[in-house]
Amino acid sequence: MISLHNVGKRYRSLLGREVRALEDFTLELHAGEVFGLAGPNGAGKSTLISLLLGFLAPSEGTVRIGGLEPRRYIERNGIGYLSELVNIPPTWRVHETLHRYALLAGVPTERIAARCAEVTATLGLEEHRSKRVRQLSKGNLQRLGLAQALLCEEAVIVLDEPTHGLDPVWTQRFRDVVDALRRPDRLILIASHNLDELSRLADRVGIVDRGRLQRVVDVRASERDVTDGAPYRIVVASGEQHVLAAFPAARTLSPGEYEVRGMTLDQINAGMVSLIQRGALVNAVYPVHSALEQQFREAVGTGEELA
Amino acid sequence: MSAPVLPVETGIPPRRAHLARYGLWQLRDYAINRGAPTLLVAALFGALPLFSLLRGLQASIERTPPRYLQLMIARHGSIELYRQSMLHELSGGFLRSFLGTVVFLGALLAMNGLVSNDRKLGHYRFLFSKPVSPLRYYGQAFLLHWAGFLLVVIALAALYGAYVEPVLTPTFVAVLASVFLMYGGVAFLMTTLVRWDWLALAASVIASQVLWDRFGASTSVLAKLLYLLPPIHRTGDLYTALVGGTALPGHTLEWIAAYGAVCLVAGLVVLRTRRLAIS
Repeated sequence: MISLHNVGKRYRSLLGREVRALEDFTLELHAGEVFGLAGPNGAGKSTLISLLLGFLAPSEGTVRIGGLEPRRYIERNGIGYLSELVNIPPTWRVHETLHRYALLAGVPTERIAARCAEVTATLGLEEHRSKRVRQLSKGNLQRLGLAQALLCEEAVIVLDEPTHGLDPVWTQRFRDVVDALRRPDRLILIASHNLDELSRLADRVGIVDRGRLQRVVDVRASERDVTDGAPYRIVVASGEQHVLAAFPAARTLSPGEYEVRGMTLDQINAGMVSLIQRGALVNAVYPVHSALEQQFREAVGTGEELA
Repeated sequence: MSAPVLPVETGIPPRRAHLARYGLWQLRDYAINRGAPTLLVAALFGALPLFSLLRGLQASIERTPPRYLQLMIARHGSIELYRQSMLHELSGGFLRSFLGTVVFLGALLAMNGLVSNDRKLGHYRFLFSKPVSPLRYYGQAFLLHWAGFLLVVIALAALYGAYVEPVLTPTFVAVLASVFLMYGGVAFLMTTLVRWDWLALAASVIASQVLWDRFGASTSVLAKLLYLLPPIHRTGDLYTALVGGTALPGHTLEWIAAYGAVCLVAGLVVLRTRRLAIS
C-alpha cells in the first residue's frame, strides 16, 4: 500500500549548511494494518509524513502510495489526514469547516449534510457547531481536525499525534474510533510520542531516531517475548514481611510495592512461588516497561524523554 | 465509555472533489476578506476627491465672469450643457487617476497571500490531503477573484454613472479586465514563489515604472530586457483612450493581457512543480 525505498531528505540552510532529516529509510506498509510511528522529537516523523503526503519531495529514494507518486495518488483518491498542528482558518465556523472539507473530499453532495452530522456526533462537536475555529479549545480543535479526516471512506488514514491535547475521556474514545476504522482494505498510520497508545492500537510500530528507521516492532509478538533482566514490579496486599525473603534484591518503592531487576523469568516465577507459599497475598506482578517501551529504549537510548 | 461509531460505507470508491461547488465558498471568501476592503478603499479613493472636484466645479461656474459665462452658454447651448462639458473634462482626469490606483490596489488585495498564506499558515495540509490539485484549486481562486474584482468595479462604475456620467461600456470592462490580468498575473506568480508577495509585487511595479521611464527610449540591446517587466507604463495610454472615447492604442491591450496571462501560467507551472511545504 505504502512503500518507502531508500528515502532520504536533506534540508539546506541559507548559509549552505545541510541538515539530514531522513536517511536511507525503507519501509513497506500494508492494507489492513495499523502502523505506529514512534520516535523522539526531531527524529524525522513529521518529515516522513510530509513526504507521504507529497508536501515535500524526497532528496533521494522513492515514496509510493498504491504504486503511485504520493501527489498523484492523493489527487486521485484523497487520504484521511490529521496533522500534528491543526491549521484551519480561524474565522471558519465548525459546521462550515466540515462542509467545505466534505466538498473537497468528494463526499457525494446528497450525503454531505448527513456525513457532517455523523462525524460531528462521533467527535462530540454538536454543541460547538456554530463556533468559530478560533473559539475552540485545544481539545475541541483537535477533535475537529480528526472529524475532517474521517469525512470520507479513505483507503489510507494518516494521524499525526492524534491525541495531542485530548482529555483522558476523548483519548479513550479516540481508541474506539480507530478500532472502528480498522478494515482489511485500509491502512492506518499513527505517529505518536505516546508508546502506551501505540501499543494498544498498532499492529506494528516503526521506531525512528536521528532520521533513520531503527527497528520495526511487531507489537503483539513482542508482548509475548520476555526480556531477561527487565525490571518488574510486585504489589502485595498482605505479607509484606515475606517479600525480601523471596526476593532478596527487591527494592521497596512504597508500602506493599516492590521492584526487582536483573532476574530471569524463571527466577521471578520461583520467587513468586516462594512468596505465596510463605503466605503473602499478591495483588499484581507486571513489567515496569511495556515490551514496546523496552524496544524503544533499546533503539533510541534510555536518556530520551518518554511520554 | 463507548464511542458512537461512524457508520461504515461499503467499499472505498474513487471520487473527485466538488471543486466547482467549492467555488461558491471561494467567492464568499473573496467578498468578505478582499472584495469588501476593495470596495471600501475604492469608494474612499473615489468619493473624497470626486466630491471635492464636484464642489469645485460648481464654485468655478458661480465665479465665472458673466461675459465669459454668456460666451460659454452661446458655445454649448445652455448653462447645463456647459456644466456637463466641464464635468466631462474633470471626470476624464479623475477616472484616469482613479483607475490607475484602484486596479493596482484591487489586484493586490485580490491576490495577496493567495498561495503564500496557505503555505505559511499550514492551511494547505488539510486542503490538499483531499483529492484536489493545488493547480486547479488556486487557478479557480484566481478566476473567481478576477470576476469578484470586476463585479466590484462594475458596481462602482454604475454608481458613478448614476451620479456623474455613464462610463460602463464593454471597452471599459475589457480594459479593466486586461489591466487586472496583468497585475493579478504578476501577483499570482509572486504568491506562488515568495512569502512576501505584496512586497515583491510593489517592487516589480516600481522597478518597471522607473526602468521604462529611464531606459524605455534606449536603442541598446540591453533595453530589450525591459520587455521582461510588466508593461505598467502603457496602462496610462489605455485609460486616456478609454476616458477620451478614442480607439485603444494598437496592441497595448493585447500586450498587457498577454503579459498577465503568461505570468498566470508561470504561476500555475510553479504550483504544479513546487512542493507545498516550506522546507
